[in-house]
Amino acid sequence: MSEKEHKVSRRQFLSYTLMGVGGFMAAGMISPMVRFALDPALEAGGEIDLVQVATVDELTDEPQRFDFSVEVEDAWYTSEQSRTAWIYREGDEIIALSPTCTHLGCTVGWDTNEEHPNQFFCPCHLGRFEKDGTNVPDTPPTRPLDVYEMEIQDGAIYLGRPIRR
Amino acid sequence: MKWTAQQMDMYLSSKEYVDTAIIPLIPLDWKNDAKGIVSMGEFTSILVDEIERQFKGRLFQIAPYTYLTEEEEQDKLNRLLTWDKHFFKHGFKHIVYITSDSFWKTVEKDLPDMLIWVPSLSLETMDDSYAKQIIDQQLKQLLPLITNKWQEEPIER
Repeated sequence: MSEKEHKVSRRQFLSYTLMGVGGFMAAGMISPMVRFALDPALEAGGEIDLVQVATVDELTDEPQRFDFSVEVEDAWYTSEQSRTAWIYREGDEIIALSPTCTHLGCTVGWDTNEEHPNQFFCPCHLGRFEKDGTNVPDTPPTRPLDVYEMEIQDGAIYLGRPIRR
Repeated sequence: MKWTAQQMDMYLSSKEYVDTAIIPLIPLDWKNDAKGIVSMGEFTSILVDEIERQFKGRLFQIAPYTYLTEEEEQDKLNRLLTWDKHFFKHGFKHIVYITSDSFWKTVEKDLPDMLIWVPSLSLETMDDSYAKQIIDQQLKQLLPLITNKWQEEPIER
């Protein structure tokens, strides 16, 4: 009796084996596909690491230009891009401004126009910004300069992405 | 602005602010001094990219004008004049040609607008930060050429 119960027919044996092998094969094919599909979604959304740009004791109350480079990943390739920040301190506060004009994206300079000293000046369409980045009314830009995401550790300044105010 | 569809959208929505086209003039030659020729083109592209970064909102970086160095001089010139006329007629009051090829210096007087000729340096042997410094110094001298041009009346064709 008990022997009969355990008997597996040739047909059953073959179909179990095929199912087993087929299952492994299917899993082998599908799992990488699922992984490829999910991978980009699992990756942190284009986070860039903070980069050390300057040290606190280099700073003055006059904005100074600091150049640094970040790795930027776009659709086709990863590239090093150079960035610039205008950094100054005011009392205990440290401010790092992006040099990108909020009008159409030219690069602004500090104190580069003789008629408007102590302002950020955009040579393209004469846009101007105050020292704290506020846009001067009646010039083309309509919002203040972006500020960089910033962290200070052991006297070193780390910058990340520019943040729209 | 760069030669991409995305930046074209930006151009189309703010056309009235963009009055300058910059055309890189890039020589081709696979027979004589191919490496030197490539290095010229590379240097010009680096400069153009940097100039574009500075003046993104007012200047459009046109696709490079390429030519064989062995092409007839008159042909090279005429073809560029056709480009110039086209871009001038369709929205750009200022056109800047930038190159490392000294040929253009010899025909500068026949060019309708501003030529920037910068002899190329081979950056490949320099370390990165030094190369950046060199480019930065070059730019410091180049950028005023363009801002000064903006102070002047555009040249009629």
